[in-house]
Amino acid sequence: MVRAVKGVMVECDPAVKQIIKDLDTQHHFIIEDLDETHLFIDASKIEMVQERLEEILEED
Amino acid sequence: MQAAIDAGLSISGNVGKYLESLPRATLDQLYTQPATCLAVLRMLPSLAKHTVLRLLYTSSAVRESVIESWAQPEHSGIFLDILGGLSKLHIVSLGSDGGKRTVSINVVFQTNLHNALVGSGAHSSFGLPSESSDKHRPTTAFLDRYATECWESVLHYLVGTPSEKRPKSPAHHFRESTLTLRRRTDGELRITSKGFQFLLQDQLNMQLVEVLNFFFQLGSLELGQDYSIETLTPTQKHMLDDLKHLGLIYQRKKKSTRFYPTRLATSLTSGSSMSVSLTSRDQAAESEGFIIVETNYRVYAYTNSPLQIAVLSLFVSMRVRFANMVIGLITRDSVRDALAKGITSDQIIAYLTTHAHPEMRKSSPVIPSTIVDQIRLWEMERNRLRISRGYLYQMFSREQDYRDILKQATDFGYELWHSDAKRLIVVSNEGHEHIKAFVARQRQQQQQQQQQR
Repeated sequence: MVRAVKGVMVECDPAVKQIIKDLDTQHHFIIEDLDETHLFIDASKIEMVQERLEEILEED
Repeated sequence: MQAAIDAGLSISGNVGKYLESLPRATLDQLYTQPATCLAVLRMLPSLAKHTVLRLLYTSSAVRESVIESWAQPEHSGIFLDILGGLSKLHIVSLGSDGGKRTVSINVVFQTNLHNALVGSGAHSSFGLPSESSDKHRPTTAFLDRYATECWESVLHYLVGTPSEKRPKSPAHHFRESTLTLRRRTDGELRITSKGFQFLLQDQLNMQLVEVLNFFFQLGSLELGQDYSIETLTPTQKHMLDDLKHLGLIYQRKKKSTRFYPTRLATSLTSGSSMSVSLTSRDQAAESEGFIIVETNYRVYAYTNSPLQIAVLSLFVSMRVRFANMVIGLITRDSVRDALAKGITSDQIIAYLTTHAHPEMRKSSPVIPSTIVDQIRLWEMERNRLRISRGYLYQMFSREQDYRDILKQATDFGYELWHSDAKRLIVVSNEGHEHIKAFVARQRQQQQQQQQQR
């Protein structure tokens, strides 16, 4: 009747969300795109996402 | 005014919180020492002190309404909060008698505070002065100098001033208590958030309360008097060694049978700020304030203390050093470095504010708001993602199942996010087991219903 998936909910502003979605095209970790400011992603990838995001934001 | 009262409802700082976290039996054991009772009393905010003293000579429970009547009717609520705080410390217990709420004082605390005040009961509680006189009696000035040197070397150790001599014994304590963090690559010690908080705090709140009675006893000892180690327990004797390195007490030789408390020890529980009584070359400048922050992110610090410069350089990029001052710049990188060590923007702002130069204090706000805002922004920038681990519940077969589970999750506070349109629920990690069990129960019920049909 229902399925439960383990993961990490990420809350962020829409701009950051767009960057994460771009990252997802290479690494595929998004389990569900919840809404404008929320994503549900694979728990084992969260560190990688944080690191990559930091790098991308630093470039600006 | 109201804010001031609110802030003063319980013992401030770590000691109070720590005491509140102790189980009742431990607290009762602590309260068997008159010195501890007196020290706890001294640390209470003034209204609480007043309440305890008025209850001290009551022999039976007192109605709460009586206590409330001590204040003007419009302020009677204050006592409710105070009694709540006192009952957390098990100094009073709240009960009821025929529907009326009553307050009674803890008998152990009552007896021993009485003993402390009138000087009866166990004498050793306040330390045993040595009987023989000391040939090498240190002067008060010497003790102060000794205490300051030890304490500063501890602080230097914490900020990691490279040249400074390191205190031997407390080092492992700090490492254990995660005040400092060992960096893997070069083995150099670095400060952590907790360690930075430690530096910011008033010296009164700094001690980790390990052997409370001894600490509370130390607080009631007299400066310049030598005390015998005879009455100390083996644990307390062991503590002497650590306390010596921290500069709380002085012993001329390791085998010496007497010890002298320093000013650091005697004002541990005095309830007032230490910085006034212990003025050293560093702290004299510190209490006056020495930091000027300009709107262009420049920081001028009128100090030559390596310790203060080391603390500042945790979040300021130092540019110029003169004999009596240093000039630095608050930059995005310098702040981010500090944040990476776990130091928060609030801690940085608090440090700048508490040590602001008197000239700065004339303006309000003390630290230019552009600087404060920018430091906060730099912190927010680091926390772009808010992460919560949990479970995504999806593919509900029926609308009703979705409703039931959502209700269950929200009722228990496990729901992190949901969408009616998509029929999705995110449940926190803590709630998952609960919801899983709930789903299993529901499934069983449904199957039973189907069988009955």
